[in-house]
Amino acid sequence: MGARISRATLLRWAPFLVLIALVVFFTILNPSFFSLRNAARIALAATPALMVAIGVTFILIMGSIDLSMEGAVSVTAVLFATVFLQLGGTLASWAWIALPAAVLAGAVFGMLNGWLHVKLQIPSFMASLAFGFVGTGLALMMTGGDRIRVEDELFRGLLTFRFAGFPLMVWLAFGFVLIAWFIQTRTTIGRNLYAVGGGEELAHASGLNTRRVRVIGFTLAGAFYALGALMAVARIGIAETATGNNFMFISITSAVVGGVALWGGIGGVWNAVVGVLIVNVINNGMVVIGLPDYLQDGVLGLMVILAVVLSTDRRLVSFVK
Amino acid sequence: MMDFQRIKPHLPWLTLVVLTAFVGIANPTFLAPSNLLMLAGDIVPLFIMALGLTFAIYIGGIDLSAQSMANLVTVIASIYLASMGAFVAVLCVLAGFLFGTLSGVITTKLKVPSFISTLAIGGVAFSLAQWLSGQKALFMDASQRDASFGWMIGRTGIIPNELFLAAALLLLCLFIERRTVLGRALKAVGAGELAAAASGLNVARYKILAFALSGALAAIAGLLFSVKLSGGAPTIANGFLLPAIVAVLVGGTPLTGGVGGVLNTVIGTLIVAVIRASMLYFEIDATRQQMVFGLVLIAAIALTIDRSKLRVVK
Amino acid sequence: MYQLKAVDKKFPGVHALKAVDFEVKRGEVVGLVGENGAGKSTLMKVIYGAYQPDGGEISIDGRAVHFANPRQAMEQGIGMVFQEQSLIPNLTVMENVFLGQEAQFVRFGVINRRAMAAATRRQLAKVKLDIDPGMVTADLSFAQRQLVELAKVLTLEERVEGDLVILLDEPTSVLNREEVELLFGLVRELTSRASFIFVSHRMDEVMELSDRIYVMKDGQVVDVVTRGASDVEAIQKKMVGRSVDKEYYREPRQKPYDPSRVLVEMDRVRFPGRAAEVSLKLHAGEVLCLVGTEGSGREAVLRTIFGMRTPLAGRVSIKGREVTRFSPRNAVEQGVGYVPRERKIEGIVAGMSVYENMTLSQMRRYSGAGVLRTGEEKALARDWIKKLSIKAHSEFADCGNLSGGNQQKVVLSKWRSGGSDIMLLDHPTRGLDIGAKEDVYDMIRDMSDDGVGVVLVADTLEEAIGLSHTILVLKDGVIQQKFDGAPGAKPTLFDLLHYMI
Repeated sequence: MGARISRATLLRWAPFLVLIALVVFFTILNPSFFSLRNAARIALAATPALMVAIGVTFILIMGSIDLSMEGAVSVTAVLFATVFLQLGGTLASWAWIALPAAVLAGAVFGMLNGWLHVKLQIPSFMASLAFGFVGTGLALMMTGGDRIRVEDELFRGLLTFRFAGFPLMVWLAFGFVLIAWFIQTRTTIGRNLYAVGGGEELAHASGLNTRRVRVIGFTLAGAFYALGALMAVARIGIAETATGNNFMFISITSAVVGGVALWGGIGGVWNAVVGVLIVNVINNGMVVIGLPDYLQDGVLGLMVILAVVLSTDRRLVSFVK
Repeated sequence: MMDFQRIKPHLPWLTLVVLTAFVGIANPTFLAPSNLLMLAGDIVPLFIMALGLTFAIYIGGIDLSAQSMANLVTVIASIYLASMGAFVAVLCVLAGFLFGTLSGVITTKLKVPSFISTLAIGGVAFSLAQWLSGQKALFMDASQRDASFGWMIGRTGIIPNELFLAAALLLLCLFIERRTVLGRALKAVGAGELAAAASGLNVARYKILAFALSGALAAIAGLLFSVKLSGGAPTIANGFLLPAIVAVLVGGTPLTGGVGGVLNTVIGTLIVAVIRASMLYFEIDATRQQMVFGLVLIAAIALTIDRSKLRVVK
Repeated sequence: MYQLKAVDKKFPGVHALKAVDFEVKRGEVVGLVGENGAGKSTLMKVIYGAYQPDGGEISIDGRAVHFANPRQAMEQGIGMVFQEQSLIPNLTVMENVFLGQEAQFVRFGVINRRAMAAATRRQLAKVKLDIDPGMVTADLSFAQRQLVELAKVLTLEERVEGDLVILLDEPTSVLNREEVELLFGLVRELTSRASFIFVSHRMDEVMELSDRIYVMKDGQVVDVVTRGASDVEAIQKKMVGRSVDKEYYREPRQKPYDPSRVLVEMDRVRFPGRAAEVSLKLHAGEVLCLVGTEGSGREAVLRTIFGMRTPLAGRVSIKGREVTRFSPRNAVEQGVGYVPRERKIEGIVAGMSVYENMTLSQMRRYSGAGVLRTGEEKALARDWIKKLSIKAHSEFADCGNLSGGNQQKVVLSKWRSGGSDIMLLDHPTRGLDIGAKEDVYDMIRDMSDDGVGVVLVADTLEEAIGLSHTILVLKDGVIQQKFDGAPGAKPTLFDLLHYMI
């Protein structure tokens, strides 16, 4: 590497540098922050949000936004738990089918969401917001407001079984990150998402069926929301209407902090990973250094602003909304 | 098709009338004036918050801090009512205005998208509310409340007093939108930010003011809310944000900016209220209401938004 | 082999193409020239399928064809290299070249990037461009992007049976001379593979490259010239349709300016990204024309005077007062008005009415304590609608729905009604029809009579020569030459071109 680092390279790595700076910062304040145990704790807390953030990253790349993830997570979590218990309640039986079924359900949910947005010509912000209500509503309808406990030892093994200090679900999530990265870089649909985000009209003029790309993008996002739901259920052992709560803002914030642009075409899976880690490191670090819990939301907010300021190339932005 | 183009601008209120008639036919008691007025009175806090959000959305942004702002104000009002009396209202509105200004400055000067900046400022407001309240619910002294703000929540004849407050704020906002330099500038910024800048307008200042107005109105919503409940807590207004955004959008102020306005928000809020109320009249099971709400909402949005200004639907 | 017969196209209020006959033979380079608004772009859009003609016939090798969209035209071998860059900046070169055609490289859902890169290299070799197909398009130079676009169109060769026709729309506008030479050499070589239609404002280049030139005016083909059979001036005469441009550019109305009153002075001003310094003076009643190619620094001068850019060094004074804080707001207060090139983006606010647009820059004048006096605003708008005969049903008309000429009049009246006496006009006649252009010329002369100083970046060189008192030729941010443009002693096109490139 040359002595001078170009501005572009610096910006590309800015979110990662922010992450490292945060780790160093918290380690100085409390050395116990930098330990395998704590790293596992951060990774575990980050896993469900990571899946959701990757899902929404696909949408942000297109220059759209998706606010339906809370509904999607709730409905797929509840659906999974219901089917799982109906079919025997343990992975050792046919109930394992509930896992792929939940992912499929998430994909269908996302597809309907994208289809509404494209067919009815409703901007994705509104379509997905309303469709998110439908998802939460469906979950409420299925549970009647009750919690469903999933206590199968094998399934909870995602949480309890550890390899090299990290729970199994963290490793699994890493595998899905690689799959998402593969989709983003190596498949036609992955590349077409960038074409739509970089210049939808140009892409259309080149003969790309941009509506189809949009619907597939939302379908993909839905599948990842479902993965997030499965991880969330595995983590707490409960599926309920509230399983999806708080995923919306945290996942979009994470993606943006990691360097995914809200106006499309910029960023990708690894940005989402870094962003989710930044947010979770801040969250965890505040606890480790003993910051009073009532201050944590405010400090998180300020740090997020700082991270976004440091990691976006504002020369490219003519005006910000 | 020609005729459809003509009725398009009227679709939001037509949707409202059709929905109201629909519920009324199913259950005529719904249309009783006292019932409708009570219904309207109940949604005033939501309406005021939506009114503020209209300004943020009108310039093509969003204000996700409105709910936290209202939460914070319920705490402020509950704590300082005893010492300040009615003047606590000034403190509340000022707090909202300042937090909104802060969001605006972060958005325009630091170029952080408003989606993120307002969310972050909302976090700050939430922390402040938790700190001030000691993380517990607070209560107002009933006699002090009635002495200072009793006029807000009583009734005049069959009309709930909240409606007078709502009407006054609506007129004020309508005046700002239609008759002031600020309103004109916000319209220009929403519809054509670059042209506004090339006409020598101080775009950043007007955008900041839009967020400040949004914050101030969210604060008023919070104040009314705490008066109604005679207390405050850092999470008491949770669940208001999304319905308020929905009210603005359904009314026909899309996120692209420059279109719609505060009158649209009146209609949007009423549509949301009628959809909510209709659940009772159609005796929809509580566990299904949320889903039905979502479905009707999609239909309402599909009907009411004006797509002519959208080049590509993102 | 590609032929249009008596093609007609009408838009509401405009007869854009009147029975146009047009033909491209195999391996030919056909030039297409005409003023803005003559119908060139409409004709091009018909050729590549973006517009469907109202009458007439299109045929390829004598077989009648009909294109419902550009895609169908592409499938028949008609490719377009756009003037505005049509490559998606965040994609790699190879992704852009094969956008929408990825299927040929996909095995089991995975893009074979090696195969795609190899295929892209084959395409790039056709245009002699040696770059890594994996490069992100945004990192390429303008010239490289132009070639990539050409390579993208040439992929049609493999996809389409029969001959190719490639439209080049103003391909040289962002290129320097060497790059132009390179492109022309390439086009000549490629005539073995395709025919070309070459559209450009640069008459000399059209003459150099084309085998035949179609001259358009008012929606008609007024002449077809073969190589070497005519000269630039004769063609220009046909384009404008008048023997002398004196009357057209209102030359008789040009009066000497007042050299004692300096409105704007730039003293050794240096712009970001440029090494050179620019000094100039604008006087009351003067029309100062900045001439140069795209990227020569004309826009930087305008935007600096208007306060949208802050110079790195040097002094800018407006009416004798040095500018310390550069912002459009300060400039407007000093009496500067700006008519931007992107009329629809920076000029008017679509969705706002005529009167709202007119007072946008001067709301302070029409308000007290922040409250607008709309009665006065509307009166002002009615006044100027009459004064400039703006075609709008009333002052309430949505500016977005007006024609280009009337939008431009609204922009001009916005500044003139506010008393701006320094006007910056960036391509004020772009996209206007002949009548509307003449209105703009009249307005420029009116402004001079009122003692307004005008900085003009003209749409064509002829326009610059015809309108100006003074011409500054810029190249790479440096003022190359100053010409005096008094009536009867105006410089010629070639005088200017000599210093431009």
